[in-house]
Amino acid sequence: MRQNKWLLLVVALLLGLVLAACSTTGSDSEEGSEDEGSTTESESTQSDEEKVLNIAATADIPTMDPIMAEDNVSFQYVSAVYEGLYRIATGGEIVSGVANKDETEISEDGLTYTFHLREDATWENGEPVTAQDFVYGWQRAINPDNGSFYANYLMSGKIKNAAEIYAGNMEASELGVSAPDDYTFVVELEKAVPYMDSYAAFMTFFPLNQEFVEEQGEDFALTPENMLSNGPFKMTEWNTEAGWVLEKNTEYWDAENVALDGINVKVVKDADTGLSNYEVGELDRVSLQGAQVKDNQTSPEFKSLTETSVFWLKMNQASAEKGEYMQNLNFRMALAKGFDKQSYIDVAYGNDSEPVNYFVPSGFVEHPETGEDFQTGSDVLAFDVEAAKEYWNKAKEELGFEEVTISFLSGDTDVSKSISDYMKTELEKNLEGLTLETVNVPWAQQLELMRTHEYELAVSGWGPDYKDAISFVDLWITDGENNDVGYSNEEYDALVESAKGELATKPVERFEALQQAEKIALDDAAIAPIMQRKTSVLSKDYVKGMDTLNPFGNDYSFKYVDIQK
Amino acid sequence: MAKYILQRLIYMIITLFIIATATFFLMKMLPGSPFDANAQKMSEEQYQSMLEHYGLDEPVPVQYVKYITGMVQGDLGVSFQYDNRAVTDVILDRLGPSAQLGAQALIIGAILGIILGMIAAIRHNTWVDYTSNVIAVIGISIPSFVFAGILQYYLAVQWRLFPPSFWETPIHTVLPTIALMIFPLAICARFMRTEMLEVLGSDYIELARAKGVSSNSIMFKHAMRNALIPVITVLGPMTVSLMTGTLVIEQIFAVPGIGEQFVSSINTKDYPVIMGTTMLFSILFIVVILIVDLLYGLIDPRIRISGGKK
Repeated sequence: MRQNKWLLLVVALLLGLVLAACSTTGSDSEEGSEDEGSTTESESTQSDEEKVLNIAATADIPTMDPIMAEDNVSFQYVSAVYEGLYRIATGGEIVSGVANKDETEISEDGLTYTFHLREDATWENGEPVTAQDFVYGWQRAINPDNGSFYANYLMSGKIKNAAEIYAGNMEASELGVSAPDDYTFVVELEKAVPYMDSYAAFMTFFPLNQEFVEEQGEDFALTPENMLSNGPFKMTEWNTEAGWVLEKNTEYWDAENVALDGINVKVVKDADTGLSNYEVGELDRVSLQGAQVKDNQTSPEFKSLTETSVFWLKMNQASAEKGEYMQNLNFRMALAKGFDKQSYIDVAYGNDSEPVNYFVPSGFVEHPETGEDFQTGSDVLAFDVEAAKEYWNKAKEELGFEEVTISFLSGDTDVSKSISDYMKTELEKNLEGLTLETVNVPWAQQLELMRTHEYELAVSGWGPDYKDAISFVDLWITDGENNDVGYSNEEYDALVESAKGELATKPVERFEALQQAEKIALDDAAIAPIMQRKTSVLSKDYVKGMDTLNPFGNDYSFKYVDIQK
Repeated sequence: MAKYILQRLIYMIITLFIIATATFFLMKMLPGSPFDANAQKMSEEQYQSMLEHYGLDEPVPVQYVKYITGMVQGDLGVSFQYDNRAVTDVILDRLGPSAQLGAQALIIGAILGIILGMIAAIRHNTWVDYTSNVIAVIGISIPSFVFAGILQYYLAVQWRLFPPSFWETPIHTVLPTIALMIFPLAICARFMRTEMLEVLGSDYIELARAKGVSSNSIMFKHAMRNALIPVITVLGPMTVSLMTGTLVIEQIFAVPGIGEQFVSSINTKDYPVIMGTTMLFSILFIVVILIVDLLYGLIDPRIRISGGKK
């Protein structure tokens, strides 16, 4: 008897719960325009005219303000919503955007660029995109009150008066840009910038509609309503941390050549969750991490994309305690050649990143005339245990030591720890008398220690912001801002200076000077190259135009992406 | 009663002020800067000018005074990692999904747990008791992300019963709710069982039985009420931690909640968001503790909040 009552009670409670749960969640589900043709039901086959790409992003978009974009996610979507003077086409070629590339005039000394804009480019609201919009966009970027990192990084010392403006000694209106008429945009430089084309396609240099931006004030670019697109797509929805929706911008001047009707992006932070969604058909493409790479390598949908990021071991010649060791060439050579790069990659990424012996990536820049790749592939710093041992013994003689302890700075994640364990085992095994002391600290602290040069060995990488070898070669000039390895070589400096100066308007000689400079730095073992990174994805075969990564800026150009089922 | 609550409110404000101060100075001791991603590319001059732009170049005490002044006026500043977004927006946007998920898990988990615990106590040392024990031990000892992974793999990927992730329709909330409610369910079941056994063996229940009070009345009016006290003590803080999101569950099911912000703001040195999330958590925590104290008075006749002499 008592039992029955209990059972009834439990059932009643459970029923009540189920109903309660349904009513609490049912209320907030039917809002939002999620079902306006942009969602894809897994069972419905998309009609031919609806081409919607479903992808994931690893994080919410930090900013949609072109001058504040500093990361891959922001780059990706800012470049889809806006269009600069030029844009990056699939495969990395820089093509006409709002400005017609063929008509651009460059003065003899390379200091004045005159861009001619298309007259049919408009903002989403129908207003034409004018040269004034570029003047405003560039001035807004360099204005120190706006705190754009990239504006100063890319403009100062190059665009006329930029450094002075950023330092607060001049008004932003004095920046060397002008609009003689609505469709002519003139840029004056302090010195020739051979990679001006890259600038013209980079977010920091995008146009902005002054009236609109000022109307939005503090809220500019925070929601789809606060944005004004002039690019192939416009943002129609943005749910923070959940995802966002882009739709084709019918007002775009080249809309007829934009294949996609829309892009649905969902924030997926967990790699396994991404893969699950790919498997059930929620996503058309997903990037693979760690063990997932090996598990999916044989899939016909697996792709490996080469990045233009190179990673190397830094040997700090300016370190307080071990500087004298690090300054010894044989000592550095021994370290550089003393560990197996392929094993490093297996430990760190487990994918098919390329072990390399150079620091300017391959597949990045080509010879201006012959079109050959910059990278001819040096092997001076290739892994070679025997050679490393010889260098090590020479270093021992020259420096007069038998045993030495060097610290290796690395992050505190599991992967970082396996990397430092690997380096310790490998180098201690190959170089007798070496003790590698591993220091694992949080990422932020690691960066801080590198910034202040308080480390002995560390691994770091570099990705370019414009398509030119100088982006990498410039790193190691004496006392350079990014030279945190204390390397110094006069001949190298002279070559880099000439590439930045008198050779700026002589592309072939400049190209060769940069190749020469890289060779010197490698012969000197300024750094010890490890690998050029690749990223692995699974991508449904109907997704077209996402087979390569752009060499700088936004990884993909959605304008040229298509879905062909 | 009113006097008691007023007194508690004053203590709360003092507590919050201490927490804010401690958090602020601890946070400033973290190594690194908020612009880590590009710190490598910055020249020393630019580094300084970026610090200036975010007001980080001033001495820490000055920054502290500015922050507290702002906070009192309800201005928590703007986030660094989400350029120009007000911290209040960052938090409020993400609090909704976390709170809903937490509430669902807590309510369902607690009720089921209480029922399970009571049944186990009443059917002491029978198979019912042993089964509920096993469930409880599994729930307490296996981390929720393991459940999350299993649920996602079988129910979503293999059998396609539910969507694997995202936060869109009520159906989408099922898996994360189940994964998150296992723990409160297990905890409630354990506490309830133990307490019920103790209460059922106590003198006053014996007396009630002897007086011929009906068994239902004994169960619900006397035993359950008293047994709930420790459960409520545990549930209070648990409510706060569940409602403010859980990093792992949110990541696995791609729930746009705030749980992840607690971690990512620290990793990115997003000072205003660190302060914002910490203060939010503290306020909720303190308020919940007060509510729990007031509930004691309602549930347990032996506790009197006002008028009693301590």
